[in-house]
Amino acid sequence: MPASYRPLYWAIVFIFGLLVQTALLPQVFPAGYVPSVMVSLVVLLALYESPRRGLALGMLAGAMTDLLGGRLIGLNTATYGLLGYYVAKYQERFKHDQIFVPGLIGALSQLVVAIAQWMILNAVGYSLPWQVVATPLPYWILFGLLFTPAMGGILGIRPRVPSKSRRH
Amino acid sequence: MGEWGQRIRRLVLAAMIIALVVTSMSLTASPRVRVIRVSSWIASAVSPISFSLAWIGNKVGRGVSTLANLYAVEQENRILRAKLVRYNAMRLELSEVLADNGQLRSLLGLKQALGGWKLAPASVIARSPSTWFDTVVVDRGTSSGVRPGQAVIAPQGVVGRVVGASASTATVMLILDPRSGAGAIDARSQAAGVVSGANPVSGLLTFKLFSHRPNIDSGDAVVTSGYSQYYPKGLLIGQVTRVAKSQYGLTETATVRPSVDFNNLARVMIVLSHPGQAAVPPVFGGGRS
Repeated sequence: MPASYRPLYWAIVFIFGLLVQTALLPQVFPAGYVPSVMVSLVVLLALYESPRRGLALGMLAGAMTDLLGGRLIGLNTATYGLLGYYVAKYQERFKHDQIFVPGLIGALSQLVVAIAQWMILNAVGYSLPWQVVATPLPYWILFGLLFTPAMGGILGIRPRVPSKSRRH
Repeated sequence: MGEWGQRIRRLVLAAMIIALVVTSMSLTASPRVRVIRVSSWIASAVSPISFSLAWIGNKVGRGVSTLANLYAVEQENRILRAKLVRYNAMRLELSEVLADNGQLRSLLGLKQALGGWKLAPASVIARSPSTWFDTVVVDRGTSSGVRPGQAVIAPQGVVGRVVGASASTATVMLILDPRSGAGAIDARSQAAGVVSGANPVSGLLTFKLFSHRPNIDSGDAVVTSGYSQYYPKGLLIGQVTRVAKSQYGLTETATVRPSVDFNNLARVMIVLSHPGQAAVPPVFGGGRS
């Protein structure tokens, strides 16, 4: 029996994430160094979902981010959607635990998403230097490593059904 | 046949999604008032929570930085004591300069210009959720007379301009944004060009000069030219830190350090109206251009 479909729960978690990202973190991190809370949340939720749901929740997180930002709508929708899809697709290859796997995937996702978005932005005419990604990247990776499992613990995100019964 | 049909259906669906994303991105690559209005509405709806979180974050941030700075404080204290001796000597000199300045200001009639400016103070309640774009949300909207296109300033200089507004909040594109673009001149030589954001991490600006051989040096003040429809003339943007030739050596580009500290941007002023040809009050960097 597959886990229940909870788009409302995802939306509430993402609203919380967006508020933390736009109002709380800029007070702590300097401009240009603010890491992505949404990437960590997409990873956390997609870790226990099917690829189709991973894609859907990633796209939802991205669309909400794009709408709040009001610029280049589609950038986050596409990248977070693909992130959710691939995290959900390959999650069964890992032995699930509550700390290391979410932390490592969260850190790796910060790296991959940042580079992918930087490449897309340069392709659409924003000439952003590589330094924009390279300088804050260690902070983003460290944030992903620590924040992702911490958030999983706070929100109580863990497998809801045995992996064999999950629908693909 | 059934499997093929499903494959084709998936391919068509994927192609449609890609086309939709690409179209949406191309349509919203530059800030659009209607799109930003939607984001302003959302920001407006969540503004009470944003405001509370920003307040908490501010307190947490201050606490963290206080702890982090504890070790540096002792050393800093020693340096400050030495500086204090020098500053006491400078104070006498400064009081003389201030007296002269007061006379000059009254002579230029700048006090009168200050009276004509209509400003709305606002607090920053949120930043852009995306690292790549430098926009902030402030707690003043159309109900306070805020409209897209109005300039936003701080006592140190130019902050940016309003790109979208709802009843209670407004989205401000900072001058650090790659798509900001403000007409500017070198206050000393009057060399004109366009200032825009170059690097969100370093927080520096690029000043692309129109002239082939402009007279521009490190340390020069850069102010708004007044040629753009958004910014009044004479607002301080920053100081030139480096001058370099462009890729093909045809034009010169200067790197400008903004006068506003965008990492500690908490309160700003929105220019609701200003006298057309009046000079900018000196407190905002005017009176030099």
